[in-house]
Amino acid sequence: MESAAISAVAIGRRYGERRALDGFTLEVPHGAVFGLLGPNGSGKSTFVGLIAAMEAPDSGTLRVFGEPPVPALRARVGTVFQENASDPLMTVNDTLWLAGRLFGVPRATARERSSSLLGVFGLADRAEDAVSTLSGGMRRRLEMARALFHDPALLLLDEPTTGVDPHERRALWSALLDTRGAGRTILLATNDLAEADAVCDRVAFIQSGQVKATGTPAELKRGLKREAIRVVVQGLTTGQLARVEQAAGDGRVVAQDEVLHITVDDAAAFVPRLFAIAPGAIRSVSIEQSSLEDAYFRHVGRQQAIGAGSPS
Amino acid sequence: MSAASACAALFLRDLRGVVRARSQLYSSVFTPLLFLVFLGNGVSEGLAPSKLPAGSFTAYLVAGSVVMTSVFSSTFSSASFYRDRDSGVLRMVLSSPHSGRVILIGKSLAGVAIGTIQAAAVLLIAAPFVEFEWQYGLAAGLAAALLTVVLLNVLLAGLAQALASRIQTMQGFHLVMNLALFPLLFFSGAFFPVDELPAWLQAMAYANPLTYAVDALELAAYGANGDAFIGLGIDFGVLGTLAAAVYALGLARTPRLTWSGQ
Repeated sequence: MESAAISAVAIGRRYGERRALDGFTLEVPHGAVFGLLGPNGSGKSTFVGLIAAMEAPDSGTLRVFGEPPVPALRARVGTVFQENASDPLMTVNDTLWLAGRLFGVPRATARERSSSLLGVFGLADRAEDAVSTLSGGMRRRLEMARALFHDPALLLLDEPTTGVDPHERRALWSALLDTRGAGRTILLATNDLAEADAVCDRVAFIQSGQVKATGTPAELKRGLKREAIRVVVQGLTTGQLARVEQAAGDGRVVAQDEVLHITVDDAAAFVPRLFAIAPGAIRSVSIEQSSLEDAYFRHVGRQQAIGAGSPS
Repeated sequence: MSAASACAALFLRDLRGVVRARSQLYSSVFTPLLFLVFLGNGVSEGLAPSKLPAGSFTAYLVAGSVVMTSVFSSTFSSASFYRDRDSGVLRMVLSSPHSGRVILIGKSLAGVAIGTIQAAAVLLIAAPFVEFEWQYGLAAGLAAALLTVVLLNVLLAGLAQALASRIQTMQGFHLVMNLALFPLLFFSGAFFPVDELPAWLQAMAYANPLTYAVDALELAAYGANGDAFIGLGIDFGVLGTLAAAVYALGLARTPRLTWSGQ
C-alpha cells in the first residue's frame, strides 16, 4: 500500500491571471482526519476540486492512492460540498438510491446501507420525506450519508458544518466519526479552527495557494512556545507600559482600554515581573493556553485572518 | 458501476421528477390540444380550407400539434438542467465516476420518454374526434407515427440538452429555444401546407427537420393523395440522421463545473 493517501508536489493552478495554487506541496497520510485551514480564497477548495478530478492542475504532481486523479478514481471518493447537493424535490430515500446507482452499489447492499446510514445520521423516520422538508442540519446529515453511501476510502468535506448549530455540529461529527471505517481518510477544508482542533489528526495552514505549515494540532501549538496573558489594569502610566513592553522582549503587548494582551514564551515567569513593574496598577491577571487559532495567526498572519480574504 | 446503469438512474430520476411535478405533464399536452380545438375548429368553420389533405383543418392540425407537443416537452425537460445545476445536484452527479456525457444522455433520454408519451397522448386523445385514414393499416400507421415521434423527440431532447449545457442562464436558454424552434414550427407544415408557399419559403421548409416529422405523421395517419408528401423513407432518414448527429456532436462537449460550482 502506498504511504500517503494524497501526495501533492509543487501543484500550480491558475484561473486567468489569478494563481489559486502556487507550488502547493502536501502529503495526507492514510486513515488521517486531515484539516486544510486557510482564509477564503487561499486555495483550499481548489485543491479539493483537483483531488476529486473535477479540475486538473496546470503543473506539479498530484497522486491520490498512488494514482493521478482521473474520473474513475471518484468511485473511491465521497464528497460533501459547501452547499447542499441534493434535489429538494426528491425524497431522502431517493437521494441515497441515486447515489447508490451512480456509484455502483449493489441493490441488496444499498438497502442495508441506506437503513444503517439513515439510522446513524438520525434520519430513519424521515426516509420518505422530501428533502425540501428537512431542516438545515438534517440536510447536512443527509449530505454526509450520501457521501458515505458507497463506503469511500477518501471523504472530502468542504466546510461541511457551515450554518449548522453547535448541537447539530456535534451530532454530525459524532455520527461521521462513528462510520469511520479502518483506513478511511478524511480531508476537511474549513474555516473553523475550533472544529479542526477538535476532530483533526493533522492540519495544514494554507495561504495564497501555498502550504505555510503542517503538523498535528498539538505540534503546531507546541511550536508556538507562546502563552497569552490578559491583564486588567487601572492607572497604568506610559512609563510603566514602556517597561512592560521592554520586559516582553520579542513577545507582543497590545494595550486596549484598561486591558493588556501580552504574548510571551513563559507566562508563569513573566507575571512576577509585571507586578514588579506596576505593583499598584494591576487588578487581575489570567493566563490562557495557546489555541490552534494562535498557531494559525502566527503562520498565516492576522491580516489574513479567516474570513478576511476574497471568496474562493 | 456501468455507464448504462448511471444513465438509467438519471433517466428514472428525471422521469419521477416530471411525474411528481404534474404541471409540466398537463401543460405540454393540453396546450396543443387547446390549439387543436380552437384554432382547428375556427379555421375549419370560418375559412373552409378545401386544399388540405386531411379534409378539415382540425384533422390537419393533429400532426402539427404532436410536433408542437414534442417541442414544448423537450424545452421543459431540458430546463431541468438549470434546476439541477442551481440545487447542486449536477455537481453531485459530476462527482461520480461517470463522464458528463453519460449524465447528458441519461437526462436527454428522460426527455425523449416524456416527450414521446406526451406526443402520443395528444395523438390518441385527438383520434376519436378526427377521421384518420391509416393508409398503411392501423397497426403499421401507429407504428410509423410512434417511430416518427420517437425520432423527433430524440432529436429535440438531444438538441435542447446540448443547448442547456452550453447556455449559462435559463432565461437565455428559453430565448434561444423560442427563437430557434418557433420559426421552425411555423415553416414545418404544422399549421399550413408548405407545397403552396413561395419557392424561398418552401426551401426553408425543406431545410427544416420538423417538416419531415409533420410529413411522416400525416402520411401515417392519413392518405398519400397527391405529390405533396415527401415520403416516409426520406422522413425517417432525415430525422434519424439528425438525431444521431445531435448525440454524436451536440452532446460531445460535456458540462464542466469547478468544485465550487462555477
